[in-house]
Amino acid sequence: MEKYDVAVVGGGTSGLTALRQLANLGKQAILLEAGSTTGTKNVSGGILYSKKPKNGRVYNIEDVFGREFIDEAPFERAITQYILHATSKDKLYSIDLTPVHEYQINYAYSVLLSKLVPWLAKEASDMSEKMGGGIISGVHVRSIRWETGSNDTVIETDELEPFRVRAVIAADGTNSELADVTQSRNKFSSEQLYQGVKVVIKLPETILEDRFSITSEEGAAHLFAGDVTMNHIGGGFLYTNRDTISLGAVYHMDSMMENPVEPSRLIDALIRNQFVAEFIKDRVPTRKANQALISKDEEIRQHFMAVKLLKTWNNLRSDYYSRDGIKRLIESGKYKTREEIESRINNLEKELVEKYNCEFGDNYVELEYSARLIPDGKRCRMKTPYYKNVLFVGDAAGRGVFIGPRIEGLNVGIDDAVRAANAVARSLDRNNFDEQYLGSFYTKSVEESPYTRDMKEIDKEYLKIFLDCSKHIPKDIVGSRYGMIFKLMSSSTLRGIAVGFANMLGFDRLLPLVESVDTYVNVPVEIAERLGRHVDSNYIPNTPSLQERIAKLDYDDDSVPHIQVTKPRSEFMQKMVSLCPTRCYSSENGDVILQHEGCIECGTCAYDTLWRHPRGVKGVSYKYG
Amino acid sequence: MPVRPLNVGVIVKLEPDFSEGNVSYNPDGTLNRAETKNILGPHSAAATLAAFYCKVKYAARVAIGTMGPPIANQALKQAQIISNADELHLYSDRIFAGADTLATAEVLRLGVSRMNNGLGADIVISGHRASDGETGQTGPQTAWKLGYPFIGNVIDFQIDPENRSIHAKRFISLYGFYDVIEEIQAPLPVFISADPSYKPSFDTVSERLSLARNLNEARSKAENFEKYLQVYNSEALGADPRFVGLPGSPTIVYKVEKIPKAKAKRRVEFIDGNDTAQLDMAAEKLLQLMTEAPIK
Ligand SMILES: Cc1cc2nc3c(=O)[nH]c(=O)nc-3n(C[C@H](O)[C@H](O)[C@H](O)COP(=O)(O)OP(=O)(O)OC[C@H]3O[C@@H](n4cnc5c(N)ncnc54)[C@H](O)[C@@H]3O)c2cc1C
Ligand code: SF4
Repeated sequence: MEKYDVAVVGGGTSGLTALRQLANLGKQAILLEAGSTTGTKNVSGGILYSKKPKNGRVYNIEDVFGREFIDEAPFERAITQYILHATSKDKLYSIDLTPVHEYQINYAYSVLLSKLVPWLAKEASDMSEKMGGGIISGVHVRSIRWETGSNDTVIETDELEPFRVRAVIAADGTNSELADVTQSRNKFSSEQLYQGVKVVIKLPETILEDRFSITSEEGAAHLFAGDVTMNHIGGGFLYTNRDTISLGAVYHMDSMMENPVEPSRLIDALIRNQFVAEFIKDRVPTRKANQALISKDEEIRQHFMAVKLLKTWNNLRSDYYSRDGIKRLIESGKYKTREEIESRINNLEKELVEKYNCEFGDNYVELEYSARLIPDGKRCRMKTPYYKNVLFVGDAAGRGVFIGPRIEGLNVGIDDAVRAANAVARSLDRNNFDEQYLGSFYTKSVEESPYTRDMKEIDKEYLKIFLDCSKHIPKDIVGSRYGMIFKLMSSSTLRGIAVGFANMLGFDRLLPLVESVDTYVNVPVEIAERLGRHVDSNYIPNTPSLQERIAKLDYDDDSVPHIQVTKPRSEFMQKMVSLCPTRCYSSENGDVILQHEGCIECGTCAYDTLWRHPRGVKGVSYKYG
Repeated sequence: MPVRPLNVGVIVKLEPDFSEGNVSYNPDGTLNRAETKNILGPHSAAATLAAFYCKVKYAARVAIGTMGPPIANQALKQAQIISNADELHLYSDRIFAGADTLATAEVLRLGVSRMNNGLGADIVISGHRASDGETGQTGPQTAWKLGYPFIGNVIDFQIDPENRSIHAKRFISLYGFYDVIEEIQAPLPVFISADPSYKPSFDTVSERLSLARNLNEARSKAENFEKYLQVYNSEALGADPRFVGLPGSPTIVYKVEKIPKAKAKRRVEFIDGNDTAQLDMAAEKLLQLMTEAPIK
């Protein structure tokens, strides 16, 4: 049996950081990723934060990947505006939370993981190869075991011969199979999870910049609370990328279980919010069926011609509204001036309208639909994030920070990964993988992380900045229940006492009060109703059907289902019929049955099923992530 | 004692690329060989893949050789991308023209001896046959000329570098069907032809790591594939003019006749998926065709 020093399971941002950090420390590690290539299975919102807390230190991505990350990594935009909108029907009240966003950060970039993760993978594997390690994708880790009389761990996969390692870093995400096989934690329950649902929308670069009033060096984040969640605890987000928009929402699973609504319908509600609709609006062609009496052959000829022209129109327009694109077009000598390109686009439109039955109007262009569970670290972080010589990091360890409207999972996983890699390197140096030497050391390091503090207690200063931003909201609005709290919080001395008291109580007891339908829905709705302005949109976005959304995704179907329904009649499973984002479940004579082919591996149904990731290469591959 | 590194030689045949845009015709409608791009035929690609397997699994040194006109470069680049080859050989001379399989084998025999810095090859791999009408004799004849044992239609093999032997599985054709898998053990040097179905598998961590490394290396090598290209003419190979080209060919192609093309029987009909009447009709037709079809 082959033997290596370390196995890292999972090639998301956490796993790749662990691999690179181990290589930085001169250690050999093998990273195994189930996706056909790295970056095809990862979903985020996502804003990647680099932070500088006042007390303690965190490890940021550039600490591991070097200056090259800032100079070369394919991130989308530096997020420079951060605005929260309270919504109620067509009314909206906006609060500028940019100071909240900027609290203790070096920078924050919007990212698309299908671009960022392969870059990280290349950087990590180049370095790791020098240490005799590297990345193997398309391999699904099925199980791990310990042979009697040996401290080494045997890694078993669906694709490769088993091999031995001395330590394991489990970076296999929220639905960690390593956590299941080692029984090192329970499966996360609905109370501990949010369901994240997202669509990526196309919007040409300079149109996007005009619309959000940003330059090419800037980016905007808009958050939504109120009726956009259809009465669920949670909120919406809209992040600008280079020439796309990430629009999505997170919904607390408890409130989804209480009031199950299909995720794709929820996202439609967000898209149809008039304010959002205006943000994502673009000029979109549609082709009507030809009414004239023409032969089938002629109709087919026209169809192909129209498709060809539409492609040309689309590419030319994307280039026209992109800085690099327009430069390329003029440098190629094909066009001399901007005006020339513009008139070519207009002529193409005219030809499409006059000859090919096309119409151009307001709509939006959806590129990808995705969903994934997100652990709320306040409720589910592993208190001892290890089992024997296996260290859990990132989502696998249930470590995400939800503070205010901000979701932090990427940066937390990166910090964990560095701590885990450092701990493993230390054990390798001493050849000591005892729990006291490895696991306890790692646990202590993670406990010292400022992120863990954020999962345990309220940050007074952060709260003050938050309250300062929302000081124009009349206190009475927040209702009798919160009026008292608000009053307390508005005075600095009282705030100190109140936060101290709250922290003493602990998040456990505080959360049901703070994270409720009142705070997430009723209060914002009331704010919007009383203070908000009317927004009008002159069109209703034509949202695709779920079938159309699924049809756009890439799948490599496995003949063997990766999920087994064990309790077809349980209340939980009955709810999955609505809550599976791709409607894989249906009910037949009271039994819930699964059709796994459309599964996007979000993990929502994992709690009450035998849930595994598909075998290597199989399942969904995201193009944006 | 360290194990001697394994040297692999692949002999490939380049074929005209019939994909759209790459074919060039003379005014009389015949193929313009000089202008038409060459690609690696599928059988040669299988042989190249077998060499890649040796590279990944045994860190072999790989040389790829072909006899042909001096326009074969692109296809050799393609072979390098597949196999991460260290040497690309082109055996090209006017006097090689008109060679039959035996005369070709003579050139390839000399080529193999020049491979791998003149060390030759412990394993020579060829395709099953070329897809543009060759008879499948070049491989065995080259093996015979080299004096190597020949194993045909190999679908899987392992090398024991220490004991310098090969353990191969091959298809045996009985009654015209592939229905027996034979396992053969043979000493090196050996000549094998890769079965068209040959697909290497990499099942251990070390093989997968080596695979990733070799794929990267192959890509960057192939960017400057000219650096790896060695062109040999008759003199450089030390060929005896009596055994190569037309004089070395005991067989001649007397006449090539076009096989008359069967008239296409397929007919396309468009069916509107929204029209149930049309769908019914289509289903009925399919049923009828299927019941008439001579499938037992
Ligand atoms: C809608 C949404 C919005 C979000 N917004 C933000 C945001 O704005 N900012 C932020 O910081 N965070 C955000 N997050 C959270 C963040 O995306 C995650 O915390 C982060 O991606 C987790 O990274 P990870 O590497 O720990 O896990 P993952 O990215 O889930 O990676 C796990 C990897 O392991 C692989 N794997 C799993 N099991 C196996 C196995 N058995 N064998 C082999 N491979 C396996 C998977 O294929 C996958 O690639 C958001 C999440 C969602 C869903
Ligand atoms: S089957 Fe389960 S894991 Fe798959 S998409 Fe549906 S809820 Fe998510």
